[in-house]
Amino acid sequence: MVNFTVDQIRQLMDRPTNIRNMSVIAHVDHGKSTLTDSLVSKAGIIASAKAGDMRFTDTREDEKERGITIKSTAISMYFEVDKEEVSAIKQKTEGSEFLINLIDSPGHVDFSSEVTAALRVTDGALVVVDCIEGVCVQTETVLRQALTERIKPVVIINKVDRALLELQVGKEDLFQSFSRTIESVNVIIATYHDAALGDVQVYPDKGTVAFGSGLHGWCFTLRQFAARYAKKFGADKQKMMDRLWGDNYFNPATKKWTTKSNDTDGKPLERAFNMFVLDPIFKIFEAVMNFKKESVFGMLEKLDVKLLQEEKELDGKALLKVVMRKFLPAGDSLLEMIVINLPSPATAQKYRVETLYEGPMDDESAIAIRDCDANGPLVLYISKMVPTSDKGRFYAFGRIFAGTVRAGPKYRIQGPNYIPGKKEDLFVKAVQRTVLMMGRYIEPIEDCPAGNIIGLVGIDQFLLKSGTITSSETAHNMKVMKFSVSPVVQVAVEVKNAADLPKLVEGLKRLSKSDPCVQAWINESGEHIVAGAGELHLEICLKDLEEDHAGVPLKKSDPVVGYRETVKAESTIVALSKSQNKHNRLFMKAMPLEEEVSLAIESNKISARDDFKIRARIMADEYGWDVTDARKIWCFGPETTGPNLLVDVTKGVQYLNEIKDSCVAGFQWATKEGVCAEENMRGVRFNILDVTLHTDAIHRGGGQIIPTTRRVCYAACLLATPGLQEPVFLAEIQCPEDAIGGIYSCLNKRRGQVNSEEQRPGTPMFTVKAYLPVAESFGFTAALRQATGGQAFPQCVFDHWSLMNGSPLEKGSKLEELVTGIRTRKGLKPEIPSLDTYYDKL
Amino acid sequence: MLYVVGLGLSDEKDITVRGLEAVKASSKIYLEAYTSILLVPKERLEEFYGKPVIIADREMIELESDEILKNAAVEDVSLLVVGDPLGATTHTDMLLRARSLNIPTRVIHNASIMNAIGACGLQLYNFGQAVSLVFFTDSWKPDSFYDRLKENSDLGMHTLVLLDIKVKEQTVENMMKGNKIFEPPRYMSINTAVSQLLEVEETRNAGVLAGDRTLAIAMSRVGSDEQKFVCGTLEELSAQSQETFGNPLHSLVIVGRRLHHLEVEYAEQFAIDKPNWRKVAKTVYGCSLEDES
Repeated sequence: MVNFTVDQIRQLMDRPTNIRNMSVIAHVDHGKSTLTDSLVSKAGIIASAKAGDMRFTDTREDEKERGITIKSTAISMYFEVDKEEVSAIKQKTEGSEFLINLIDSPGHVDFSSEVTAALRVTDGALVVVDCIEGVCVQTETVLRQALTERIKPVVIINKVDRALLELQVGKEDLFQSFSRTIESVNVIIATYHDAALGDVQVYPDKGTVAFGSGLHGWCFTLRQFAARYAKKFGADKQKMMDRLWGDNYFNPATKKWTTKSNDTDGKPLERAFNMFVLDPIFKIFEAVMNFKKESVFGMLEKLDVKLLQEEKELDGKALLKVVMRKFLPAGDSLLEMIVINLPSPATAQKYRVETLYEGPMDDESAIAIRDCDANGPLVLYISKMVPTSDKGRFYAFGRIFAGTVRAGPKYRIQGPNYIPGKKEDLFVKAVQRTVLMMGRYIEPIEDCPAGNIIGLVGIDQFLLKSGTITSSETAHNMKVMKFSVSPVVQVAVEVKNAADLPKLVEGLKRLSKSDPCVQAWINESGEHIVAGAGELHLEICLKDLEEDHAGVPLKKSDPVVGYRETVKAESTIVALSKSQNKHNRLFMKAMPLEEEVSLAIESNKISARDDFKIRARIMADEYGWDVTDARKIWCFGPETTGPNLLVDVTKGVQYLNEIKDSCVAGFQWATKEGVCAEENMRGVRFNILDVTLHTDAIHRGGGQIIPTTRRVCYAACLLATPGLQEPVFLAEIQCPEDAIGGIYSCLNKRRGQVNSEEQRPGTPMFTVKAYLPVAESFGFTAALRQATGGQAFPQCVFDHWSLMNGSPLEKGSKLEELVTGIRTRKGLKPEIPSLDTYYDKL
Repeated sequence: MLYVVGLGLSDEKDITVRGLEAVKASSKIYLEAYTSILLVPKERLEEFYGKPVIIADREMIELESDEILKNAAVEDVSLLVVGDPLGATTHTDMLLRARSLNIPTRVIHNASIMNAIGACGLQLYNFGQAVSLVFFTDSWKPDSFYDRLKENSDLGMHTLVLLDIKVKEQTVENMMKGNKIFEPPRYMSINTAVSQLLEVEETRNAGVLAGDRTLAIAMSRVGSDEQKFVCGTLEELSAQSQETFGNPLHSLVIVGRRLHHLEVEYAEQFAIDKPNWRKVAKTVYGCSLEDES
């Protein structure tokens, strides 16, 4: 059955040139998991007859029920490429056997963080695009993420069977539709062009685009057709591929190739793609669906496809499936495309090391990563935690970038806050076992060298969600993953029986480990809060929490939204606060931070970990900051990484450096719990203008300065026209024309703003894009379904923070009401504290 | 009337007669308990005064001073301060606030470490600016005291180094959550102080301190029955075990160049290595001393 052994896989692991680590990424419902089945069946893990129906990588009950993927799932496969095709591989290879580590990822935007975690451990991506729906919002999001991680894409245009059977399009229309889809993929790729990665646009004539049907298990690239016709025409295979795409025509009368669509007499010629590639497929479809069996068998004979006797008995779609699968088996063409076009770890790590590793490019770890050296120091990145059958325990799932990992030796487990040379966020522990992740199974293996994907047993308790595992004392961390979604939707949970509380606390810890994006914490009033990317994400998380991680009945509050506090103007006067002992005074002003800078911080373009001189240069050149100011940024906050800045603009103040740490701590505090509603702050720049300090360090310690910094930040905010920002989703809704009215009325009721409304060429489907405040999004999917008779299905992804109209300080305003609500919920005094709570007179 | 009464250095009996009269006449008595600590529990004070004493920690002194002052407007209130009331600067604020409320004040002085330091044999006239040495952390090493030390050293003066005490400190997390959970009290030892001093010397490198060439006097519980002095070079001090120096609180004096031979001779009784004490005083400090014979 399974046509390879673990030993064979283990042997291939030692040949990093013959490994392909790849993720399957796409918009929801474009057919990733179904397509993955074809690949898995090729490897003999599931019977090929079941491929397309089984969704092998959907391992959870709810995934099967809902028909969507929730968690990304990895699987290792062995593939032997046709010896003739080895020459097409434009990178170093040894032999014709390959190890393919595939990760199937979720398509629903709410689970994008799973995609991020999958991309980190792979070097290539198979982007699946529905040929009818085309490039959708999530296609763009995941493709963008892939490119920023320096992951090379190949594309498959899926569900071609639907175009033929349901839409009944003609050959030229189908070609045009393919071209448009490829064009829109390439537009995105070009937007995120990265010189180090080179040109990664996809072209059918280069063999980087495949066409097929995951459901029916067939698929082809031009390479297969070129191989057939190259023999027939006696032409070079590569030349043949070029001719089979684009404006190339064959004149059957003269037997000549031309690039003109008319012959010399002005008669139209048929496009080579249509004539040589689509025509046979169309003919088979036509013959099978019209029950012209004899002509089908005739054609198959010509194509050298043999059917079994019982298969010949089949009819209609069942026959079509068998015929197409034998004619153009999806597994072969896809795996071939993957092996030929996607980079091996040995190739990819050369250019990925700069974007992956935080340390200097000439230390031993960086060099070993670059060379994918199995004998170098171990550098392993854990991208996510996978629950084991043993309740509450997890496999640490990740990729070995250098060295070899095995059970026994003690490794350094470095969390995201680890700083080289320090002891915080560091454990030195041994791995108990190393395992190969095979979808719903695992296979133990003894050790695992650089370039491979692995599961580790026995270190889950030392990692929160992700981390770096090394054997080198000098190793820095691998860069932290940047998620494209934020946990903007929150609910409060509590146990129904008070005695279950410890189980809830433990369950929350496990939940937080099991999902890269979910956050859980206890707020000021002692409530347990769970935050997720969207309604569906939260629903799944809470279900897991209730049924699995905590295993106790829970009460859940209505979802609430996290807001951001900001300021809209510069402080009208200089804010002053005195320390408790009155011997220290801090003078400060707050002002809005440029939105571009906030965004750059949030997307990690500017980060607290950058060298301050380089950062200052970038801020001056790209964001118009004064270089001197930019160099004097003391810190980012909250959590030392957020989009608020504390800047020292004092002139010649003594001892200032000695209170810096305390100011930073006070600033972190203030930006984490803003003055209006104790929500995080966003987009505020705090300038320290002056300080007067006690001469003696004893009287200006943390106990004096930290609370004072917080108070002066609050005073400065209250003086700077405080405002609130709310999170806004970009909702993309696909629907037929008659449902558009329902969408508009539904959006209008929920403060939604339509951005664009486009018909997808060649289809009756419309795509509506709209901004929808997260606060209004609860129940949106259900309401939309109701308003459109179930025809419209939205994808909501967090898009931006939007400044809300009005001021929370204005009595009786909407914002004041909102703030009062948040404060009451948090168990604070309902009124925003007045200025003199924080502002001290001279 | 607000009386700010100095309690002196060691136990309940160090209060002055005038101070005791003020306390006896007061309706409320607060004990300030964070800039320094008394070596006896407050119950001993209450027994001695025959009156209840309210402990006023940092919170109360700095945030609830109005409460203390409110009573002072109509009756007599005493604020007891360890050492001398105006030794630690923070109490001037209380007096200023009382003045602005037109509450009459009276300060009753007492001995403080600032003058009792004479017990080590060095003359008070020759002391320069006093400095505090706080606990260093990985990221926070305030070293501005080094500049003061250098200024003193340039003038040849002695420096009194007060060592950090941490009583009732909150972690930042607890401060943020408003939890009144306090870290266990910590008192800086002489060993820590000497190693921090030498660490700063290494980074600043202005030649103010040298392990084998700088003399220093370590003091424990000055003014109490347990008072203890130990002197030697910084190197010698750091080589001693913590017990050598006695129980906290500790202070340290860095000996200045303008060292008088009488000072050397008086302190010699505390020296770890007497011949070396004389030798360094003579060769490095240039004191004219007769050879020991």
